[in-house]
Amino acid sequence: MKVEAIEYGDRKVFSVGAFNRGVASWLQRLPTVWVEGEVTELRRSDRWASVFFTLKDPQDGSCLGVSMARGQFDALRLELADGDRVHAYGRPELFEARGEFRLRALSLERFGLGDHLAALERLKAKLAAEGLFAAERKRPLPLLPARIGLVTGNDAAAKRDVLTAVTTRFPPANVLVAETYVQGPRAAGAVVEALRALCREGVDVVVVARGGGSFEDLLPFSDERLVRAIADCPVPVVSAVGHEQDTPLCDLAADVRASTPSVAGRLVVPDLAQLLERLDRSRAGLERGTRRGLERERRRLDGTHERLARAPRLLLERRRAKLEQSAGRLRTLSPKATLERGYAIVRAGEEIVRFGRAVEPGERVDVELADGGFGARVEETR
Amino acid sequence: MNFEEAQQELERIVQRLESGEAPLDEALKLWERGEELYRFCKERLDTAEGKIEELASRAEAASPGA
Repeated sequence: MKVEAIEYGDRKVFSVGAFNRGVASWLQRLPTVWVEGEVTELRRSDRWASVFFTLKDPQDGSCLGVSMARGQFDALRLELADGDRVHAYGRPELFEARGEFRLRALSLERFGLGDHLAALERLKAKLAAEGLFAAERKRPLPLLPARIGLVTGNDAAAKRDVLTAVTTRFPPANVLVAETYVQGPRAAGAVVEALRALCREGVDVVVVARGGGSFEDLLPFSDERLVRAIADCPVPVVSAVGHEQDTPLCDLAADVRASTPSVAGRLVVPDLAQLLERLDRSRAGLERGTRRGLERERRRLDGTHERLARAPRLLLERRRAKLEQSAGRLRTLSPKATLERGYAIVRAGEEIVRFGRAVEPGERVDVELADGGFGARVEETR
Repeated sequence: MNFEEAQQELERIVQRLESGEAPLDEALKLWERGEELYRFCKERLDTAEGKIEELASRAEAASPGA
């Protein structure tokens, strides 16, 4: 539609009607979309062709006027009460007569907490099927991060809790804090951006912390983009969102889930005192172990040395024993031993008498005994 | 090498030394290495400066319509 302007010199001026028509026709080019909000100020009359109500954003209170053909509205039998959550499908339009902007709804669906939960369950099942929450994806946290990233809202509590826990346990910790929206429609995108910014700056681990809130407040932390960003984060992520009983999907995608921001803070740093003690113990062990090894070597050396010193004497003793043995054998073989047993050696002159005919009666012989001897004369021979 | 790896190696060395299985030459090398690792770890703890920095402005600028 052509919108005519009146020209006053070089100034183009539109009538109110023309302006509204122009804007209205431009608005018609916008696409049809779904809008979520709470129904308030529902106005319906049998005399009107349309039903009117206001959609209110529960997060920030933004309002949007909505109109819908009465026949269509009645056919849906939604029986809406103030505060009921709906999804309205329509396109923006301008009520030209009054210059009022609103949404022209073509369709309307109730979308309560149950629907939210159902949508969340569907998303959860889908991401779980992709393996986003799988235990084998979980990475261990670094023992001693050079720098810790912290994504948090500017509400002091969660941020303070994390920082206090971190610096109490490990005073020399370095923390890079990214304050961002943690509530409302911008939150999911903002947290994703904060995560990326921290990783670009270089951190070893990221804590995403947000205090408790209503189911609505925590919804951004179940946003698909945010959950995927946490799963894809190049460094491990600790999620501390809401209270123990809340389980936003980001908790499932994170490498570690902390029940509170303080717990998250304690998880990402080692206990400095303990660490120092452990190091000192190691060092003491190092000295003790080395000293013990040296002493053992010295003892072994001393032992060897002793054996070396003993070696010549041992040899001598062995020789002596051998000699004794030979002497013993020598003794058994000598006639002395035979004489001891009662035998005697008889000599005639230098000759040993071995048989009777070797001597004659009356001949003198010498008899040698084991101890001493005597001279004798032969009486007879046989 | 990061802190964790250094600490783990140090503890393995202590274990080996305390087991008494290492021959003397090895024991002395282990001890030297252990001392080196100890100094590395200690330095990591001593030189960490404990800084809390804010990235808020950048995050703000990056989120459209902030």
